[in-house]
Amino acid sequence: MPGADKEADLTERIEAFLADLKRGGCGTGPIRGSGETARETTALLRKVTAQARWSSAGDLMEIIRKEGRRMTAAQPSETTVGNMVLRVLKIIREEYARSRGSSEETDQQESLHKLLTSGGLSDENFRQHYVHLKANVIEAINELLTELEGTTDNIAMQALEHIHSNEVIMTVGRSRTVEAFLKDAARKRKFHVIVAECAPFCQGHEMATNLSKASIETTVIADAAIFAVMSRVNKVIIGTQTVLANGGLRAVNGTHTVALAARHHSTPLIVCAPMFKLSPQVVITTVVRNRIILSKVNVHCPVFDYVPPELITLFISNIGGNAPSYIYRLMSELYHPEDHDL
Amino acid sequence: MSSRGGKQKKGNVTSEQEEEEQPLQAVLVADSFNRRFFPISKDQPRALLPLGNVAMIDYTLEFLTSTGVQETFVFCCWMSNKIKDHLLKSKWCRPTSPNVVHIITSDLYRSLGDVLRDVDAKNLVRNDFILVYGDVVSNIDVSQALQEHRHRRKVDKNISVMTMVFKESSPGHKSRCEEDDVIVAMDSKSKRVLHYQKTQGLKKLQFPMNIFQHGSDEFEIRHDLLDCHISICSPQVAELFTDNFDYQTRNDFVRGILVNEEILGNQIHLYVTQDGYGARVSNLQMYDSVSSDMVRRWVYPLTPEANFTDQQGQGCTHSRHNVYRGAEVSLGHGSQMEENVLIGRDTSIGANCHISNSVIGNNCTIGDNVVLDRAHMWNNVHISSNVEIHQSVVCDGAVVKEAVRLNKQCYFSMLPVSQVVIGPNLSLPEGTVVSMHHPEEEEEDDDDEFLSDDQEVGHSKDKTRQKAFNPAEVGPEGKGYIWKASMNDTEDEELAQCLWGLVLNPDPESDSESEASEESQDRSRSVSPEIDDVNAFQLEVLGTLQRGLEENIVCDNLVLEINSLKYAYNITLKEVMQILTRVVLEYPFQQQGTQLTTLQYTGSLLPLLKTWSPVFKNYIKRAQDHLDCLSAVEELFLEQDTHQTAMVKVLMKMYQLEILEEEAILKWFSTGATNDKSRQLRKNQGLQKFIQWLKEAEDESSEEGE
Repeated sequence: MPGADKEADLTERIEAFLADLKRGGCGTGPIRGSGETARETTALLRKVTAQARWSSAGDLMEIIRKEGRRMTAAQPSETTVGNMVLRVLKIIREEYARSRGSSEETDQQESLHKLLTSGGLSDENFRQHYVHLKANVIEAINELLTELEGTTDNIAMQALEHIHSNEVIMTVGRSRTVEAFLKDAARKRKFHVIVAECAPFCQGHEMATNLSKASIETTVIADAAIFAVMSRVNKVIIGTQTVLANGGLRAVNGTHTVALAARHHSTPLIVCAPMFKLSPQVVITTVVRNRIILSKVNVHCPVFDYVPPELITLFISNIGGNAPSYIYRLMSELYHPEDHDL
Repeated sequence: MSSRGGKQKKGNVTSEQEEEEQPLQAVLVADSFNRRFFPISKDQPRALLPLGNVAMIDYTLEFLTSTGVQETFVFCCWMSNKIKDHLLKSKWCRPTSPNVVHIITSDLYRSLGDVLRDVDAKNLVRNDFILVYGDVVSNIDVSQALQEHRHRRKVDKNISVMTMVFKESSPGHKSRCEEDDVIVAMDSKSKRVLHYQKTQGLKKLQFPMNIFQHGSDEFEIRHDLLDCHISICSPQVAELFTDNFDYQTRNDFVRGILVNEEILGNQIHLYVTQDGYGARVSNLQMYDSVSSDMVRRWVYPLTPEANFTDQQGQGCTHSRHNVYRGAEVSLGHGSQMEENVLIGRDTSIGANCHISNSVIGNNCTIGDNVVLDRAHMWNNVHISSNVEIHQSVVCDGAVVKEAVRLNKQCYFSMLPVSQVVIGPNLSLPEGTVVSMHHPEEEEEDDDDEFLSDDQEVGHSKDKTRQKAFNPAEVGPEGKGYIWKASMNDTEDEELAQCLWGLVLNPDPESDSESEASEESQDRSRSVSPEIDDVNAFQLEVLGTLQRGLEENIVCDNLVLEINSLKYAYNITLKEVMQILTRVVLEYPFQQQGTQLTTLQYTGSLLPLLKTWSPVFKNYIKRAQDHLDCLSAVEELFLEQDTHQTAMVKVLMKMYQLEILEEEAILKWFSTGATNDKSRQLRKNQGLQKFIQWLKEAEDESSEEGE
């Protein structure tokens, strides 16, 4: 039976992806950037859409939700997976609405007035069957994939607007986005980058090597020296693991220190974050990884910091620069409010 | 042995070519072959004991899968059905699992050696494989070790047979198991092991001179290594175990290889890692430390909240100070979970409790004002109010009543139906073991579960059983038996300490000897320690013959079995014969009781002799064999003096069946008498007549010949 084969193949792919995700955090598995994770998630969801058995948008959404829940549970610290699931759900909603012929605008906008008059959030049941729905959804997911491919380039393109000649720029740890951003700026301008090493994993060292290979003047400093050096810095540019719903960040450990120091010296703090890192979550979990074995000593090694939105000057995403206070708005554009809890 | 060497090499050339396509295989031994966790392990095999609410074998399988193992052979012995059930239900047996798990069960495995011999016999591994126990918890990336191993095998033409994975960790570290402490001398460059010695209980270490002279510039002597019990083995390892049937453990193997290095040319290498975590839960001490390391996230990504077993409802959340909570956990007012606490799903905790460094299973209820510190509670445990538990293991379904205090290193065992109940108002001292199994029950079950290397446990105890629970021990409402404290028995003290791995017997051999001699005093019978082996052998032979009779097995196969038993118990040929004779002659007594009349006895014995005559003929060949056999017959009939008249008939039958030759009988009759009793025996009328007849028959035949 080809149908059964397809389904077995699909579950196999999903299992493999889950297993990868689970091991994603450790040294043994392949360490990937969140961009790659986002692309893989989306590609997998496209496969689910194409191969799973569903007759209406409601069924499909249920399937995607179910798989999404499993995927997010597999690696709770990787929020991109959940974000992509939400994006796909939103796509299905939009395509369904378009098939029905109702305008996207009215369907999507949640105004106080509408809430009061309509009674429930939505009485839509997504049960009607449309022939072209599948093709349309897959088409839209393909568009999303293309968008994901180009995110880093889109962000890097804006570099020249933010980095000027002879500036001193500080960054912390290693972020692929920031690296691309700085390298792009270095094609036209000369500037100096100070990298905080981000002990104990010291991703900063790798960052510094990569930057100096692109002939950018680079200095590595210890994390303890961040405040001392901050007075010389013109701009702080950092990456992040997740952008939270309130405009705060969940970023690599040490970022909060940098942000506080920047605030003290009134240095602008710019966050390079592609849109797929925007998460409707506000929860904070710390992930702890330990490396050294000692007895009779408790070693705590949190991996992520929470940075409150007040400390952030500007977000640079693939669709342009935004203030932290505008994040909620982007959120409602990207995800449907009913989907926020998977 | 050396003749096999040539064959091995040939076999491996082909396997090397196939190397690339072959999936990575692993052999997982889901049995400990010792009784460190007794009596918990009586109801639950060790591999299924929960560590952080997940069975230990799942950690091992996850470790193997994450290193890229695609095919795992799980060998189970003790309670193999439970392990099988567990695995079939787990995600490893789903069709999508990247790691195909094969379960192989047999009750005959007694050691790691037996398992590997079986691997060889069934020809399971075709390539390098990873060998682990079912209680190893690790996140070490062995792929590099694997690469090094393969590289070495390519360069050195299959000289390296095994690479052991060790982790650097300072001596005295809590996740180092004292029993496994080793001192290793190795070549710094090639990482080849030159000398390997367990240090436990040793005050002096000796190194052979040749390790300093073997020609390398640099070598290291290291004691800062933690044995992760992960080894990468070549297929040769299984063959070597087959060739050397006396290898029981990996330790035997390593020593054997190092001793015979010059003859066989095999080498063992070491892989030392600094990153990662790897430890084997080999006793309760290790259980405690591995469990706490896991909660403290040393084994990342194998953390409680990762739910890597992918079971429904097993997930939990992780919050600050390493507090993990499963679904539907309720926590009373004023209760504190200080740090490193894992609470399973559907557990409810009362008010004003203080919990730190503890693991609590699913479906537990905990009352008010409870203090838990370093407690390990499994599923369905019920704890009443005002209880204090320190550093203890409370197993499935145990009930602890009000105001009980469990001091360090207590542990309760479990039984599926009726559970241990403790208290109220009781304080258990350190090192107490409470179980629903009576300590003395143990012996009867020994036959089927005697898997232990630690033979000191439970040999002889009187069989009087107390059925009543002792309220002084387990409290007025208590149910269960104290295993150690009240008995004041050296054996059990040792057992309890063994459980926690604190005091370890320096030399198991001398220990078993002293045990045996103690035992013999109990029975007021003088036996030497070796007698045990002989006795065991005798029992086995009896069993074999019995089975042979019931199932109508061909005598050739019986001979084969007895031969293999002979090797297993290390019995000389002479002893085999004597025991065989004795067993056969005693067989009617065994079957029908000792009250047989002589007539009945001979009636049942003679057909048996006829059936088993090929077995006898196989062993009785030389003249000396005949005499030995006869002396065994004599010895038996001296003991059974009421049946002495039967002896003639037996001898006659054996003569007729051509088991015994007449010269031998005559020689025995004339020379064998050494003491009064045997002289008495020879004066027996029947025997006299028989001999007379024999002599005449001989004369006749010689006359005829002329």
